[in-house]
Amino acid sequence: MKKFRISVNGNSYDVEVEELGNSASSASVAAPAPVAAPVATTKKAAPKAAPKKAVKAAPAGGHAIESPMPGTILSLKVAEGDTISSGDVLLVLEAMKMENEIASDVDGVVKSINVNNGDSVDSGEVLVVIA
Amino acid sequence: MAIDKLQDLFDRKAKIQSGGGEKAIEKQHAKGKNTARERMNMLFDESSFVELDMFVEHRGVNFGLDKKEAHADGVVAGYGKINGRLVYAYSQDFTVLGGSLGEMHANKIVKVLDNAMKMGAPVIGINDSGGARIQEAVDALSGYGKIFYKNTLASGVIPQISVIMGPCAGGAVYSPALTDFIFMVDKTSKMFITGPQVIQAVTGEIVSAEELGGGLTHNAKSGVAHYLTNSEEECFSEIRRLIDFLPSNNLEVAPTVPTNDDINRKNIELNEIIPANPNKPYEIKDVIKILADDGDFFEYQEKYAKNIVTGFIRINGKTIGVVANQPKILAGCLDINASDKAAKFVRTCDVFNVPILTLEDVPGFLPGTTQEFGGIIRHGAKLLYAYSEATVPLITVILRKAYGGSYLAMCSKELGADLVLAWPSAEVAVMGAKGAANIIFRRDIADSENPEETRKQKIAEYEDEFATPYKAAERGFVDDVIEPSTTRARLVDAFDMLSSKTVTRPNKKHGNIPL
Repeated sequence: MKKFRISVNGNSYDVEVEELGNSASSASVAAPAPVAAPVATTKKAAPKAAPKKAVKAAPAGGHAIESPMPGTILSLKVAEGDTISSGDVLLVLEAMKMENEIASDVDGVVKSINVNNGDSVDSGEVLVVIA
Repeated sequence: MAIDKLQDLFDRKAKIQSGGGEKAIEKQHAKGKNTARERMNMLFDESSFVELDMFVEHRGVNFGLDKKEAHADGVVAGYGKINGRLVYAYSQDFTVLGGSLGEMHANKIVKVLDNAMKMGAPVIGINDSGGARIQEAVDALSGYGKIFYKNTLASGVIPQISVIMGPCAGGAVYSPALTDFIFMVDKTSKMFITGPQVIQAVTGEIVSAEELGGGLTHNAKSGVAHYLTNSEEECFSEIRRLIDFLPSNNLEVAPTVPTNDDINRKNIELNEIIPANPNKPYEIKDVIKILADDGDFFEYQEKYAKNIVTGFIRINGKTIGVVANQPKILAGCLDINASDKAAKFVRTCDVFNVPILTLEDVPGFLPGTTQEFGGIIRHGAKLLYAYSEATVPLITVILRKAYGGSYLAMCSKELGADLVLAWPSAEVAVMGAKGAANIIFRRDIADSENPEETRKQKIAEYEDEFATPYKAAERGFVDDVIEPSTTRARLVDAFDMLSSKTVTRPNKKHGNIPL
């Protein structure tokens, strides 16, 4: 059991994280202490701790844009709900000493963005889902 | 009497040329496909196609086949001209017994291949066939085998182009696979070893024929095919364009196409094309088009392993094969697919005496278990092997990154490049500055009072000292560092200088390329 103190927008939260052997899909996250935590901030904290495998399985319906190689998300160029066309840059992935522009290969609307700036991603991980 | 015999000849020919009859032809057209003879006329210069072996008939007697007529035995064969040059071709006729391949059908194809080799002319095979003619049993099977064998003998002697314009399934796929170039037409071409029904029965997977073996699948996913076109018309015009880039056989060079494009053309924009930040990508195809005569670039496997760009251009009217890293895709890394694609292209150029220009901006081999388990060592080796065994003129221009093993793989001096030029932006080094500084100066950084500051300082030091073309030039691994804007003029001059290149190699049956 590891304890972290995370501060979001000036509020500080005590978070306990327990590592359960190799089963990556069941990392448990203790709820933040203050009950009346604003929705937006808890939402921000959650995806960080969420297991990567679960993110990969997320897109049911919609076209998944996957990471072509392991790297770090440098910046997001679109937001959920944006209408995009094929060839539009969705985000910039820093990998192999290069700022790689990851573009959509379909027209559509950004249904969900599964990553944040600074996240490390593996190759094959779903970054964005286009509906 | 004489008239009767003439009339008889005309009638016979007319009957044979009607293929499988009006109904079957209508069906073929309804699928958006042309007939075998229509295709020949689209492929060749106007009225230059000459059909041979029209009267050939099958010898099958089993399962009622003796009662069936198969005009020309389901394949149209002959020769013609493409922009004035002799080319052989055969075209399977889907309207005749579904274009199925039997003994005599195969013999006609083998004859075309024999003649093409004898005359030293390219051969084009148009595939549109249901597969083996089952009634002819083992004779049909033997037919495929004979074609595979001939394809292999012809490999490296004459350019062999396969065109898929309908189904091409089972054993039939291996004749195209043994040839140099495969063209497919979107939505009407299909290639697979086992079809969707068999796959569903055996593995339970449900997949459509298009998804399994359509033109896009083989151009983008499997890498089996090299060109994808939207229509048969476009396909034939692309094939004609390709033929213009190639010699007729391995003893000739490709025809020179005169150009009005200035051989001394300076391109100031090339001085600016590399972004100041080495981590920013740019479009390598822009560079290729600027260097080419009239901006004409005929790309090979455009949709596959896009992190490496391959294709034909002309410089001063002469065909040149280009291999270039694409910084926009996968950072321009070499991976399994890119290595396979580039290695095959390099060997294709080498057998047909096409000089090779390598444009290098490569950060390394792609890391990861997928690559290692997939055998990147074995596949990457193909590229090293292909460059090392090539005896055509080889010029490498290092635009930016040239790191580690991938620097060597991209036609370095050591692998046989005749001339290595570098732009001032080139970084020929064992690895990137960040990684190198972290290893070499690990102690200094760890012992420093301000490690981050020291790290930055050491990285900058390393960049100034080693992330340049000059260390490599000091050793002679880079022959010259040039102003980017003068690249085209330098290439014109250098390829001219290299045109008399001769190389002797030890005698052997053949090398043992890692496969």
